[in-house]
Amino acid sequence: MNIVVCVKYVPDATADRKFEDDNTVDRVGVDGLLSELDEYAVEQALQIKDKQADDTEVTVLSVGPENATDAVRKALQMGADKGVHVVDDAIAGSDALATSLVLAEAIKKIPHDLVVCGMASTDGGMGVVPAMLSERLGVPGVTLGSEISVEGETVKIRRDGDASTDTIEGSLPLVLSVTDQSGEARYPSFKGIMAAKKKPVETWSLSDLGVDAGSVGAGAAWSVVESTDARPPRTAGEIVTDEDGSGAKALVDFLASKKFI
Amino acid sequence: MTETAFTESEERLALRAAVRKLAGGYGRDYFVQQARSGGKTTDLWLEIGKHGYLGINIPEEYGGGGGGIGDVAAVCEELAAQGCPLLMMVVSPAICGTVISRFGTDEQKRRWLPGIADGTQTMAFAITEPDAGTNSHNITTTARRDADGWVLNGRKIYISGVDEAAHVLVVARTEDARTGKLKPCLFVVPTDADGFEYSPIPMEIVSPEQQFSVFIDDVRLPADALVGDEDAGLVQLFAGLNPERIMAASFSTGLARFALDKAVAYVKEREVFGAPIGSHQGLAHPLAESKIEIELARLMTQKAAALYDAGDDMGAGEAANMAKYAAAEAACDAADRAVQAHGGNGITQEYGVAGLLVAARAGRIAPVSREMILNFVGMHSLGLPKSY
Repeated sequence: MNIVVCVKYVPDATADRKFEDDNTVDRVGVDGLLSELDEYAVEQALQIKDKQADDTEVTVLSVGPENATDAVRKALQMGADKGVHVVDDAIAGSDALATSLVLAEAIKKIPHDLVVCGMASTDGGMGVVPAMLSERLGVPGVTLGSEISVEGETVKIRRDGDASTDTIEGSLPLVLSVTDQSGEARYPSFKGIMAAKKKPVETWSLSDLGVDAGSVGAGAAWSVVESTDARPPRTAGEIVTDEDGSGAKALVDFLASKKFI
Repeated sequence: MTETAFTESEERLALRAAVRKLAGGYGRDYFVQQARSGGKTTDLWLEIGKHGYLGINIPEEYGGGGGGIGDVAAVCEELAAQGCPLLMMVVSPAICGTVISRFGTDEQKRRWLPGIADGTQTMAFAITEPDAGTNSHNITTTARRDADGWVLNGRKIYISGVDEAAHVLVVARTEDARTGKLKPCLFVVPTDADGFEYSPIPMEIVSPEQQFSVFIDDVRLPADALVGDEDAGLVQLFAGLNPERIMAASFSTGLARFALDKAVAYVKEREVFGAPIGSHQGLAHPLAESKIEIELARLMTQKAAALYDAGDDMGAGEAANMAKYAAAEAACDAADRAVQAHGGNGITQEYGVAGLLVAARAGRIAPVSREMILNFVGMHSLGLPKSY
């Protein structure tokens, strides 16, 4: 089986994240890494590979700036077999539609039965790329899986909703997205780190994919970020003092006003 | 990042990041909780073993990672920098793993190295004796030849982690059959051997890993408990000392980083007179000094590891001693400044800084004292007369 995992290089969520003057995410001035939510996708792909008897191959694919190779390399250290990095200045500022176009055209050039994605990126956080990919590739999209199993040509997931738990099946080829409940991502072992050095990573540009530069990037985006504001500093909490036995009622009133009870 | 002889490889940095994340998941609270409740850090130990971070320096054919001392030192440092310093990393993979990898027979390597590498068969190291501390020539633990093996007798002190170890690599002396002189030899002794007993020494260090007095009373060992060559004990012993110093230095720089991180986080948040206290140079400058001292010590540690891994034992010796010295000093200063930056909070258990004072201080004494390093540098680097 051939598995492609789509991964994104994102600014480290624990660092100070910033925007550029044009309100796109600053991807150069801050430390980046493999999106944590995509680590779950890599993990599931590797678990599927571990369970397959045949010579399953996992290719990790990333669209992003030069540094995005770091995200590809991390996935290779975790155990993926080879990498593809699509890098082109024209891609900067792309929205989800354009990103899915570039990913889909790249995936078409890679042998694939199963495409695995994380549930969303930790920067943009739209969570729509997996569905867009299934549309562009013309294959089923089985999304937001918290438990994944593959039997022959069938992929089965459990999707946890607020009111129900759904079991969803699809047949290969398909696009799968997995949640942060699907299972802890593994740490790269020392041998994995050393082996990744020798694993092949191909670098493709838009022209390699036959994608017109005018159809991607900030200029072609359907949506624009108008402005951004930093999150306001956390305000001091409300302290309930209980001097006359009314404390419990005050607490309950507070919780009720916030609809916790 | 640009890679030069003064920077670490992409793989080394990835290893650090992986260990940082894994250890961060346990964190200082876990470590302190285990220490104060009499628990152990076995979960963390086995997890780093499982990922191949523990036996990195052990050859691949014996279950290790085939990497160098620089790699295992990076693991040691990152664990400490997350508040989980594991002293047995210095001992089990670095000292014992090195000595057995370099001098053990194939059979000995097959028997002991895989367990050291994955952490399931930790090996302690026993050299210090009540009457032979810094002067290891005074070691009196002796091994006598017996019909089909050896009989060991003696006493050891300040032996780390014996209770968590499956074996102890014991430095003893045997009588040279020809000259009658005593010469050092290394023996692997199972901790459950008859006549082998140990008791904890209460220490003021907050750590789940304990120190022990060891009593060796007519412990019978098979002939192949002797590691390597009976006539090359001293060489074998010295082979373990550079890795020990490089690891001790990494342990100290990790502790120092942890103390400094805590201090920096605190002075950014804590406000007195309407501004974060970190805006005052009286607090900022000492922390900046610590940052400089730590980075210098790390650089020398990495140099020592690079020389050792390149096979230059002599060159590594000078650098490893200097690194260990500088790292211990940096750690003591960083711990002291971290306490001061925290004010009264610095000596509470809640803020967890004061406990670092003793832990950092131990680095000035062990595995070799600050004074003996200065003697070494005086004699070997400066060519001054021997003072002892």
